[in-house]
Amino acid sequence: MAAAMQLNTLMSNMFATGLLDDQFQQLQMLQDPSAPDFVAEVVTLFCEDGERIIGELAKLLDKPAVDFDKVDAFVHQLKGSSASVGAQRVKNTCIQFREFCQGKSRDGCLKTLDAVRNDFYDLRSKFQTMLQLEQQVQASFYPKQ
Amino acid sequence: MDRRRIRVLLVEDEEIHRVVARAVLRAAGVEVEEAENGAEAVRRVRESGAGGGSGAYNLIFTDKQMPVMDGHEATRQIRAMGVATPIVAVSSDSLPPDVQAFITAGANDFTPKPLTKEKLGHILAKFGLA
Repeated sequence: MAAAMQLNTLMSNMFATGLLDDQFQQLQMLQDPSAPDFVAEVVTLFCEDGERIIGELAKLLDKPAVDFDKVDAFVHQLKGSSASVGAQRVKNTCIQFREFCQGKSRDGCLKTLDAVRNDFYDLRSKFQTMLQLEQQVQASFYPKQ
Repeated sequence: MDRRRIRVLLVEDEEIHRVVARAVLRAAGVEVEEAENGAEAVRRVRESGAGGGSGAYNLIFTDKQMPVMDGHEATRQIRAMGVATPIVAVSSDSLPPDVQAFITAGANDFTPKPLTKEKLGHILAKFGLA
């Protein structure tokens, strides 16, 4: 019961603070007994993509001559992943990031990389908590004999 | 038309987008086949008995940026085979020039990512597959 309540509170908070949008609810509605781990699968893919892309962005922006087209391509990819999982805040930060890429502003890109990193890690942490609480709720409904 | 007989080819290189789109399509009761780039999509369409008609797929969804062959080129090549199957571009790049580039290549429609139940419903209805 406690885990279920914590999970509800966490999810409400994530939607209320704009971390997640309606797309995440669409994913939840697609989960059913034939695909019981669907949301976890998408969340895991997003977290893996995000970690990899942020690492690539940091490397690209650390170079003496920044290839803004490559930076933009990675940000575009992160924006797409964010949109697919419903990661609204990360997606919106990526939109700003792309503007700095198109303006070829290294400073702007670096500041926005910090912002996207913070948003991503905040979301990832909450997703990890969400998945742990879901497992606890499942375990309480289907205890091992 | 029984949606269970509708065959859709999903052309997408990134796994997260394939997973989400696959789930949306299956929830709608359509049969999904996948290609991870434009070249594989062209091969699948060719091998499905395409040519001079509608081919074996009822609908093709394609991303734009993919390795080996992108969505624009895949669309051009599929059209060059004489395949009239509706092709819908699904891309995060949704500015008017991006949309127009796909239409010029031969796509029938464009929808921004991610594919959702609502967008799919409109598309199936538009092409008489609902």
